[in-house]
Amino acid sequence: MPMTLTEKIIARAAHRESVSAGDIVIANADKLYIKDLRFSKKEDARGLYGVLLEVLESIGKPNVWDGSRVVVNLDEQPPRTDRRAEGQDRARDFAREQRAVLYGGDDGGIGHNVMVEHGHVTPGEFIVGGDSHTCTYGALGAFATGVGFTETVGVLATGQLWLKVPRAIRFDLTGKPGPCVVGKDIVLWVAGKIGYEGAINRTLEYAGAGIKEVSIESRLTICNMAVEMIAVNAIIPADARTAAYVREVGGGDFSPLSSDAGARYEQIHAVDLGEIEPQVAAPEYPANAHPVGEFKGVKVHQGFIGTCTNGRVEDLRMAAKVLRGRKVKSGVRLVITPASFMAYRLAEKEGLLEIFQNAGANVTSSECGLCVRPSLSAGEVCVSSGNRNYRGRMGPKESSVFLSNAATVAASAVAGEIADPRDFV
Amino acid sequence: MSSLTIKGRIWKFGDSIDNGNIENVMGGVDPDFKNKVKPGDILIAGRFFGMGASDEHAPRSLKEAGISGVVAESISNIFLRTLINIGLPAMECSGIAAEVNDGDEIEVDYLGGSVRILLSGRTLTGDRLPDFAVQILAKGGLMPYLKSGGLFK
Repeated sequence: MPMTLTEKIIARAAHRESVSAGDIVIANADKLYIKDLRFSKKEDARGLYGVLLEVLESIGKPNVWDGSRVVVNLDEQPPRTDRRAEGQDRARDFAREQRAVLYGGDDGGIGHNVMVEHGHVTPGEFIVGGDSHTCTYGALGAFATGVGFTETVGVLATGQLWLKVPRAIRFDLTGKPGPCVVGKDIVLWVAGKIGYEGAINRTLEYAGAGIKEVSIESRLTICNMAVEMIAVNAIIPADARTAAYVREVGGGDFSPLSSDAGARYEQIHAVDLGEIEPQVAAPEYPANAHPVGEFKGVKVHQGFIGTCTNGRVEDLRMAAKVLRGRKVKSGVRLVITPASFMAYRLAEKEGLLEIFQNAGANVTSSECGLCVRPSLSAGEVCVSSGNRNYRGRMGPKESSVFLSNAATVAASAVAGEIADPRDFV
Repeated sequence: MSSLTIKGRIWKFGDSIDNGNIENVMGGVDPDFKNKVKPGDILIAGRFFGMGASDEHAPRSLKEAGISGVVAESISNIFLRTLINIGLPAMECSGIAAEVNDGDEIEVDYLGGSVRILLSGRTLTGDRLPDFAVQILAKGGLMPYLKSGGLFK
């Protein structure tokens, strides 16, 4: 029976000839990603490792199912609270004792970036992660989805999880993106168009001739925001760009897979990349997206460039084009947090960090940063290159967050109000 | 398995409530809810319940407040799985939000996939949980399920 790419990967992971949407299967994970926060005592007083050891003992297993398939990352460097520091200690204990792969020094940054940049994502793999943005890895043609604390423990103990094969939506991309239009604009446009009702708990596949015009970094953004459409995962079949990237970062060998002709899709949408303008998502939902022009003049107090969505070097280059020779408007703060140290060093080498500093931006070390902790006061507005603008995401519930690409953030920080980056480059 | 039918008073919430606003017993939506909810109460939500983050302290706070079950128009995959994994029965049921108001009593059959509204006597059909989810709930969550030898195989 014809299968979508997502169905093919799930079928292989479930040791089945074929699966189709609605089937309930037991899948074997190829990889598991865990962030340091999971090891803190935030979600469970015993911490993840404590709970895991109890489970392992009661089922008579000495260790996790396969430590070599587990990647642990210390997202917050340096840890800001004693609880986070203790969580990181436990994460290190776990990695050492269970022989898992650990990142968190000068090779670190945000875990999803680290996973991709260090070759831990190979097309065709079935990857589970203890963070909702694990769906990012679909950009390289893997099936990847996020799970909670308890399920992370379950996968560590057994290597398995149960799964309902999601119904599929396909986006057929054509054309080329216009100026200042990148993955963020494409995914916000798509979210704005189909909304949550269309995407909830589905798999989203981006394909068509236009996909070759979309960089790997932009593809990562598009798949990163699948969870913002409440989808299970997003996936982009591996092509020549993917193969070159995976080779460059030292990923595994793979045979390219794609969906079969005749595979079943609940919806198919045509997307002409040339018609998409830079997008802004207004509070309080990522799908509340419209062309940037509709928001011109909205006063901005803070700009934030970073996150697993848009803190890669493509984003930093876009921001630098806008900020070169300009100044952040007096009274506005602009915080720039390269998502990984790999991006940080590349940006430094290309002179981007100097441009940011000269513009009056605050450049920080690589971490999730302002996306996960409060930085706004009541009534303040932030334009962020991140993924979430829910009520109270970056401060009190009276503060608000608009989402955009990095160039729009930079332009808005210079103008002191939401601005079209095409007027600046 | 009879424990998978629950009866209780309901509290109704709206659409598009994300994980962050569910923290501290729906604290982002109604900071006073944690003082109003009683053990055994059932939480009804609208569409897209639990969208966003995978953080587990939000659903755990509902369980710790004594909420005995969740029924929503639709629930994000991550959130629904997490509710089941922590042993808090949850089900999607289209049409539920329009049928009930705060304080109404309902009976939810998570095994059979139905919701009966006691006042009107109407029964709605929900999205029945997969057998694996039911087995996990019957043990009280994924951890007790695994500890009791319920490996997936």
